[in-house]
Amino acid sequence: MTTTKTILRSDELSCPSCVNNIESNLNQTEGVSNAKVHFNTGRIEVEHDPDRASEEKLIEVVRHSGYEAQISPF
Amino acid sequence: MKLLQKLVRNATTRKKALLIVSGLLIAAGWAANFFGALPRLFDVLMLLATLTAGFEIARRAWQGLRNRHTNIELLVAIAATGGIFIGVFWEAAAVTFLFLLGGWLEARTMSKTRNTLKELINMAPETAIVIDGGERKEIPARQVQEGMRVLVKPGSKIPVDGLVESGTTSIDESAITGEPIPTEKQTGSEVYAGTINKNGRIFVKATKAGADTTLAKIIRRVEEAQEEKAPTQRFIERFARWYTPGIVGLSIVSYLFTWDLELALTLLVIGCPGALVISTPISVITGIGNAAKKGILIKGGEYLENAGKVTAIALDKTGTLTEGKPGVIEIIYFSRAIAVAGGGQEEFPAVHTVSLSDRNNESLPLEGEELLYWASIAESASEHPLAEAIITEAEKSGQIPEPDEFESYTGQGIEAVLGDDHIYVGKAEFLKQKRISISENINKEIRSLTNKGRTVVLVARNNKLLGAIGIADQMRPDAPKMISKLRENGIERIAMLTGDARPTAEAIAEETGITEVHAGILPEDKNDIIIEMQQQGYQVTMIGDGINDAPALATADIGIAMGAAGTDVAIETADIALMANDLMKIPEALRLSKKTLRNIHQNVVIALITVTALLAGVMAGSVHMAGGMLIHELSVMAVILNGMRLRWG
Repeated sequence: MTTTKTILRSDELSCPSCVNNIESNLNQTEGVSNAKVHFNTGRIEVEHDPDRASEEKLIEVVRHSGYEAQISPF
Repeated sequence: MKLLQKLVRNATTRKKALLIVSGLLIAAGWAANFFGALPRLFDVLMLLATLTAGFEIARRAWQGLRNRHTNIELLVAIAATGGIFIGVFWEAAAVTFLFLLGGWLEARTMSKTRNTLKELINMAPETAIVIDGGERKEIPARQVQEGMRVLVKPGSKIPVDGLVESGTTSIDESAITGEPIPTEKQTGSEVYAGTINKNGRIFVKATKAGADTTLAKIIRRVEEAQEEKAPTQRFIERFARWYTPGIVGLSIVSYLFTWDLELALTLLVIGCPGALVISTPISVITGIGNAAKKGILIKGGEYLENAGKVTAIALDKTGTLTEGKPGVIEIIYFSRAIAVAGGGQEEFPAVHTVSLSDRNNESLPLEGEELLYWASIAESASEHPLAEAIITEAEKSGQIPEPDEFESYTGQGIEAVLGDDHIYVGKAEFLKQKRISISENINKEIRSLTNKGRTVVLVARNNKLLGAIGIADQMRPDAPKMISKLRENGIERIAMLTGDARPTAEAIAEETGITEVHAGILPEDKNDIIIEMQQQGYQVTMIGDGINDAPALATADIGIAMGAAGTDVAIETADIALMANDLMKIPEALRLSKKTLRNIHQNVVIALITVTALLAGVMAGSVHMAGGMLIHELSVMAVILNGMRLRWG
C-alpha cells in the first residue's frame, strides 16, 4: 500500500468542534491512515492511500462534514 | 435541478441558502403577526424557520454524536427541539437562526485572520522561465531543479532561491525581511523566491525551489507557530471539554429543581463556550501573522506569551549591536595652521580627531579626505580585512587609482608608489623604520584611540606623517535608539555579553547606552550569566546572531536570532527569528508580544464576563432563549473583532 500526504485547507473552521467532526470523518474513511485538522490555521493533513482514497474523495468527506476545502500548494 | 443539487452539495452555499430562507420565514412570520393574520400562521412560519436553520445544526450535532463528541450544536439542537416541544416557536426560530448567522460571521472573520498566511503563500509565483540550451521554457516554479538558469524580468517575482549569475537590479525583499527599502543586487548576490525584481533583467542560478525555498520555510514556520497552542489555549480547551457536559448537567439539575423547562433550555443556549474557546487562538493567529508580515518569525503561542513577560535582555555584541566587520571609525589628521613665531613663518600642525559616526550627514574636512585617499591607494592592492574598511570609506568620495608599485610587510604595513608619491600605511614602528617622525601629540591621540579598543593605522606620504585612521567593528546606527526603546517598553535590565576585550566592549556600551557589560567571556559564561539573571527573578531574552550564541539562546526564556533570512539553523532553532538584520525589530517583536498577551487577557475577560452575566440573568429570569443566544453570539463576535485589532498594531 502506498501512502501519501495531502494538505487541504479550509477557510470555514470557526470552532474546535468543527475540527473534531472533520478529523473523525476523515479518519473513518477507507484508505485514510491518519488525519489531523488544525483549527488555528485551517490546515488539514491527511495520510492516505491515493488508490483507495483520492484527493477528490477527501474533499468530499470534508464537504460531507459541512465544510468546503481546497488542496494546498504547500 | 442539477444546479440545485450542486448548490446543496456545496457546504458554503447550502449554509447561506438555509440562512436566507430561515431569515425570510422569520420576517414573514412577524409581518403576518403585524397585519393580524391567523395567530397559528406566526407559529407555523417560525416552526418552518426553525426546521430550515436547524437542519444544518442537527446534522452537525448528529455527526458529533456519531463520533462521540458533545458539541455546541448538540446543545442548540436540544434547546430548539425543547422550545418547539413547549411551544415557544419564536424562541426556537431565533436561537437556530442566530446560531447559524453567528457561525457564518465567525467563519468569515476567522478566514480574514488567516489572510496573512494566504498573502505569504500568494507571494510565490507559480511559474518560472528557465533557459535550457539557449531556449526559454516556462515551467511550474516548484519543478525548477538546482543549478537551472532562470530568467527574471523587471517587475516580476523571483520564483526560486538562487544566486544572480548576470545582470544588476534592485529587489524588494519585504516578503522575506519585512524591509520596505529595495536592496541592490549584482552578480553573485543571493536572491529569494517571493521577492520582487524592481528594475533590471537578471539571470539566476537556482539553488532551491518549491517547498525548499526560504519563503516556503517561513510559511511552514508561521503555520506551525499558529498551530502550536499557547498555554492559555490548552488550558481553555481542557476546560471546554468538561464544560459542555457540565452545562448539560446543570441544565438537568435546574429542571429537576424548578420543573421549568424553558429555564433549563435557556441554560443550554447561553452555556455555549464559543467566546472562551476562541479567545486565545484568535489573538495568537493574528499576532503571529502580523509579526510575520514585518519579518519577525515567532515560533508559537507559548513564545508569544513568554515574550510578552520579558523583563531583562542580554545582547551579544559582535554582529548584533555592531556590524560584525571592521569599519573606519575615526580619522586623526593635522590642520596646516601657520603660526608666526619670532618674525619667521613656521608650520604649526594641530592634531584633530574626527569621528565618522555621522559621516552620512556631513562631509569630512579636506585633510581627512586626503588622508583617506592616499591610504586607500596603498590599500587597494592589499587583501587585509582592515584594507577593505579603508577602501569602503574612501570610495564614498570617489574613484581610487591603482598604485604603480606595491609592497606588503606582513604584520607591519604596506608601501606603495604612485607617480612621484611614496605612500606608507601601517603601525607606528613600521613608519619609524621608514624614518618618518611621529610627534608626541599624535602619539597621545593614538594611545587614546587604542584604549577605546580601536586598531590604529598610520598614514604617511613622502616621508611626512598625514595622520592616522582608527578602525573597529562599527556600531549599528540604530543601536542607541533600540536600547532606549527597550527601556521605554519596560525592560528593567539590559546586559551586553561579549568575548571581546573590555575597552572595545565598553566603548560600544557607552555609545549605545548599555550600563551592564560582561566582556572577555566564553560562550559557556554567557549561559551562566543568563541563568544567574533568571535566578534573580528576571524573564530573560537573549539576542544573538543564531549560531555561535546557540547555547545562550536556548537557555534564555526567549531566544531571538538576528538576520535569519537564508540561515535555516536560526529559523529552525530560535524562538523568535528576525529575517532582516534590523535592530528596531527587537523592540517591535517584544511590543507585539506584549500587545498580543494583553489581547488574550482582554478576550478571556470578555468571554467570562458574558457567560457569568448571562448565567446570572437566566437564574434571575430576565434572560430568555433568543436574547441569550443573541448576547452569546455578540460576545463571540466581540472577541474575534478584538483579536483582529492585532492585524493593524
